[in-house]
This record gives sequence, C-alpha cells and structure tokens, in this order.
Amino acid sequence: MRDHSDDSSGQAGSIDQHIIHADLDAFYAAVEQLDNPELRGKAVLVGGPPESRGVVATASYEAREYGVHSAMPMRTAVRLCPHGIIVRPRFDRYREESRKVMSIFQDLTDLVEPLSLDEAYLDVTDAVEGGNHPISVAIGLKRRVNDETGLTLSVGVGNSKSVAKIASDLQKPDGLVVVPKGREKEFLAPLAVGKLWGIGPKTASRLNADGIDTISELAAQPFEWFQRHFGQRAEEVWARANGRDFRAVHTQRVAKSISAETTFPADVHDSVELADVVTRLSGRVAQQLASKDRQGKTVTLKARLADFTTFTRQITLPFPTGSEATIMEIALMLLSRELGQGRSFRLLGVGVSGFADSGQLELPLVWEGNDTNWLEPET
Amino acid sequence: MKLSCLQENLSRGLGVVGRAVASRTTLPITQNVYLATDQSMLKLSATNLEIAMTTWVGAMVEDEGAITVPARLLSEFVNSLPSERIDIELQPGSGVLQLRCGRTEANINGADAGEFPPIPTVDEGVAASVETATLKEAIARVAFAAATEESRPVLTGVEIKLEGDRFSMAAADGFRLAVHHGSLREPVDSETKVIVPARVLNELNRLLGDQTDPVEIMMTPAKGQVLFRTQGSQTVETVSQLLQGTFPNYEQLIPQSYQTRAVFDLPSLLRATRTAAIFARDGSNIIRMETQPAENGEAPGKVIISARSEEVGDNQDEVEAESLDGVEGKIAFNSRYLLDVLSVLERGRVTIETASSSSPGVFRPTDSEDYIHVVMPMFVQW
Repeated sequence: MRDHSDDSSGQAGSIDQHIIHADLDAFYAAVEQLDNPELRGKAVLVGGPPESRGVVATASYEAREYGVHSAMPMRTAVRLCPHGIIVRPRFDRYREESRKVMSIFQDLTDLVEPLSLDEAYLDVTDAVEGGNHPISVAIGLKRRVNDETGLTLSVGVGNSKSVAKIASDLQKPDGLVVVPKGREKEFLAPLAVGKLWGIGPKTASRLNADGIDTISELAAQPFEWFQRHFGQRAEEVWARANGRDFRAVHTQRVAKSISAETTFPADVHDSVELADVVTRLSGRVAQQLASKDRQGKTVTLKARLADFTTFTRQITLPFPTGSEATIMEIALMLLSRELGQGRSFRLLGVGVSGFADSGQLELPLVWEGNDTNWLEPET
Repeated sequence: MKLSCLQENLSRGLGVVGRAVASRTTLPITQNVYLATDQSMLKLSATNLEIAMTTWVGAMVEDEGAITVPARLLSEFVNSLPSERIDIELQPGSGVLQLRCGRTEANINGADAGEFPPIPTVDEGVAASVETATLKEAIARVAFAAATEESRPVLTGVEIKLEGDRFSMAAADGFRLAVHHGSLREPVDSETKVIVPARVLNELNRLLGDQTDPVEIMMTPAKGQVLFRTQGSQTVETVSQLLQGTFPNYEQLIPQSYQTRAVFDLPSLLRATRTAAIFARDGSNIIRMETQPAENGEAPGKVIISARSEEVGDNQDEVEAESLDGVEGKIAFNSRYLLDVLSVLERGRVTIETASSSSPGVFRPTDSEDYIHVVMPMFVQW
C-alpha cells in the first residue's frame, strides 16, 4: 500500500513524479476558427495588421505550412502566405477559453502550473498512483478538452517538467508523447540541444560550434565543463540534459486543499478496515493542517470503487476546523453512507478545503454518543 | 381568599418570582403569577416551564384560597403603591382579585389556580448544602463558559457533580472549558451528576445577591429536576428542569503539559487585554500574545499583547511576567474569551500555560487549585 499526501504546493519534486505538459495547438487561431466556421481549414494569421508593423501572435497550422510562425512580422507573414486571413486578437475571448481549459486541468489535479493562456504543467502523480496509466490520463485529458471546448491539445508526459515539455512539442498538433519512466535519457539523447529548455538559439549555435549537436553529446560532458560554460546555471542545465530535472509543479495559487489518500493493493470491502483507513488518513490530514497552520470548513471523502467509479462526498461546517476528531467524525460518517451493497473500494482519500485566514479553534470534545444529526452532506 | 400583607414584602416577592414568568409563550397562563395562602403566608409562584420559582410573603390570612393573575400587571400595580398594608380579597367564584391599599383600589381579572402548571416539588433525592459565597463564586466562574446557541443543547448547561464533601461545576461551549471545585457544608451519601441550564444558574446567582445563609440543593436526576432553596430575608425555591444527555468528558481536555508557563499580575494583564480588545473589535476579535523569556536572566520575561485591524490600526502592549518558565511562544485568542476569564479571576495573579499556537491555553488563579479554565486559541496568520 502506498500512501500519498500532498499539500498542493509541493516545493521539491521527486523522481517518482508524473508531469504532464499540456499545450493548446495554435490556440488563438484555433479559437477564431472555432467561433467563425468560415475560417476553418484556412490559413489564419492572428495579430496586428501589416501596415501598423503588427506581428503574428498565432498562425493556424494551415498558415504554418507556408513557413509562418509566431512573433514573425505580419508583413513577412503576408508575403509568405498571401491568402492568409488576418484576424485581430480578442484576448478577452482567449482568456475565457483558457479558463475553461485550466479548470479541466484542475479537475484532474490540484497541482496545475499555468505558463501562459495556452500551456500548463500538471502534476498527475496522484492519478497515476491511483491506478491510471499515464497514457490513459493523457488521452482522457485531451479528449475532455476537445469534447468541452473543441480545441486540440498536445500533451507530453514524463517524470520532469523539461522532458514533458519537449515531449509535448514533438508531435504537434494534437500530439501525445509519453516518455516511460527510466527512459528519459534515451528519449532526450538524439534531440537537438536547442530543444532543451533554457538553451536558446545563441547558446545552441555556440554549442554546435563546439561540436555538440544533440542532447546526448551535451549530457556526455563532464560536470566541470558545464560549470565552465554555464556558470551558475551549470547544475540546472546538466540536470536537464541528463533527464534529472526534478523541479516540482508550482501552483500559483495557494493550496486550496490538504488531503491524503491510499490506494489498496487489493480491493477492500471490510467496513472495519475501511474505517481504520479513514481514521488514519484523517489524522494525517489534521497533522498537515496543523503544520501549515491551516483550517478549512469543508471535509471531503474521496472513494474509488472496484469498478474504478470515483466520487467525492463532502460536508461544509459552519466553522473552519483542523481538529482531528472533527475531520474523522465527518469522514467516517461520509464513509458509513457509502458502505453496503457489497461495495469494494480501491482507494479512499480524506481532504479538507475551504481555508480561512483566521478562525476560532474548537475544543476536541469527546463524549459518548456524539450526535452528528446537524451534519447533512451536500449533494 | 382574604388576607393582608405589607406592600414592600409583596413587591419584593413579586420581583423575585417575576424572573420566572414566561415572556413569550404558547401557554398564556404562564404569564400569570400564582397566589395562594399557605398557612400564615402568601405563597407566590411563577414558571416558564423550564424554571419555576416560589417564595413566601408574611401575611395575615383570614380565609384560604388561590388564584393566578397577570404577573406584570400585578407587579406594576403593587410597585406603584405606598409602603403600607395591602388588603387582598378573592370573592369565591368571582375570578376577580381585589386589592386595596389606603384609598387605592384595584380589581384584577384572574384565571383559575387549577389551570396553572403544577409547580414541581422536589422532596426526595440527594440533598446538599453550600455556602452562598461558595456557590456564587462557582457560578460566576463557570456559567459564562456555557454555550448560548442551542445546536448542542447539553452545552448550554453546567454539569454539577456532588461527591463526598466536594462539588464541581463545569461548562464548555465548544471553544472553552471552565471547571470549578468547591466544598459542601456536609458530605453527600452518593455521588450525583446533573446538567443544569446555565440560564438557571445565572438567575440563581442574581437571586443570591448579598445574602449569607447557605443554599440547599436537592437533586432528583430520576425526575429530571433540581431544586435550590435559598434562605435570607425570604425563602425562595427555584426548581429547574435538568438538561438530558451526556456531558462531554472534559477531564481529558485539560492539557497535562506545557511549553511555556507564565505568571502575571492580573490587573496589569487585564488592562493590557482590555486595551487590545478595543483594536481587536474591528479585526475578528483577535488578540495576539507573544511570550518572551528574558535573554540573560535579569527579569523573568514578558508577554507582548497586540491587536490589529486592517481598517482601524493596531496597538501593542508589554506586560512583565512575575515568573516565566519555558520557551517563547505565540498564541492568539478571541478577545472576549480572554476578557471573560481574566475578569472572573479578577484579582491576584494568574498562571497561563501554553503548548503551541494551536493547543489550548490553560488559565488558573495562582493562589488556588479550585479553578481551571481552558481556552482554544484562534489560528491566525502571524
């Protein structure tokens, strides 16, 4: 049995993490094509007009075939792709779509680090540890984004941010590249050094001049060489070249929940055993809340059944709590409502959310026959 | 019914039982006061069904009888009379109470005494006797910590336990706990535990005033009632319904260890707390306390008491400890809870024990083991 706890703001990552880099394909142009059917299948150039020295913000893939790329002067783009349709950017609209996509990301994991409107890192370690293969997590994500927004997403999965980012770029558009655990170095080896995050065109051509064209050639250099060439960045570049980049996904927002969950090695239906697990998870959540000085109003029980049905049940209290007894009392009550009918569980989790900046702590009152009638689960 | 009594005695008696008259009720007769001749006395009773109060007024009784009349009307009328003799008469079958005092006369329409809810009598059970001062102190130190909202009814009560020649009172509103121990005048035969509504005890405390005669307590958990009989210028019986249910096991809420233990002069600490409470008022009532042991052993150390509010501003105060044992610590309390406990301890010195910013703070008077008050802190962003 592996337990996983998170405070959704993890600083250091680990070799065991599963990171997705998700990148919407030709995002601005795709939104324009979505909103205006006449633009579909056509070369669309989103950006300022050529006469006012505008640049291309995004070009549709139809335009990219003519060599147009982002940040190119619109004048040049029009020369390369004379039939291209120039559309003025509508950032409010892009933000709106971006929010939808980011919230789909957040349904999958609390750990989402947006890089811009159209790309983000997702730490999906929990979903993978919960029994899902990285490929099915990635496919599920791509499908949901497409179903709900009509946009296509390119996804790279790896054990580090830099591997995931490189992977997502390899099969664009609508790409899906999963780098299996332990094969990171092998995956990176043949790629051009310029693909490595942090190595810009200038550095790349300098490296090429030194006879270093691929990442494997770069990784083969001794550490002292990195120190000479990259100074303070030496360790960072060395780590990325060697597929050993373990930076964690940083959520910009403060953690919205603190939770702990357990996946069972074999499905469990014994109510006593399940209650034991919930009790233990509640204790761990309470401990983490205490160590972070946090109190939340909402207590959530997460469950995955033998058939992989996953659901959460929660109760919001009139006051924020960090009390082990209260969290346990509520989580056990939520569990008791889900038992029966020969249900078997694969996974149980307990979480607290709805944090407040300050609040009165409760006395951990204990008495016989605690009444919980006042607690009604939310539907 | 025909009798006469002194205006001031009747006025005082009505004032006492008036506290038990129902204010809003679905049973209108509980807004009446019950009057009956009882040997050579006039017996007055009122009840709101949770609490019933009875007292006796010295009278010259000519004919026996009983009636109920609107309590407020009778009380206001009697209070308006001069301090003279009042003649009271109820013509059998009339339902009208006639009162005469000097040249003033009134007729008050009453309701039949038989319709009045029976005033419970508590004549069996565990009897105990407590000095008034002892009981008053216990109530003052404990009853305020009971819950005022009804979501967990038993917490609106005070658990009273009688054991040997000691009694204990405890109340907890979910955020704080107050426990007081006191002496009985004589040991009781059997250990008894009941939960009395805090409201009733507060009423009793008011009633006790500055009288000095002991209070008799009669508990009948089986009937769900407790009676307090106070002597004094007049006998008053207060009967209360007990709260049903189990009181939380509070012993285990009292921390057995601490990280920091500090002793303060109470008036100094109370003054600094009152000042901080002014600023805390607009900032979620948070008062922050930072305990700092002295660096080089010159003075014992101090506590920095502060409050701040985004809109209004902030303040800070330092209070020197008389002794300080342990490490530096930070803890925040609701200003009301802090003021409540410091105010009841009033004089002398207070010992405060804390373990962490999220563990309960323990307050005790330094000069006695009788009282312990546990307050849960507030969690704040420091």
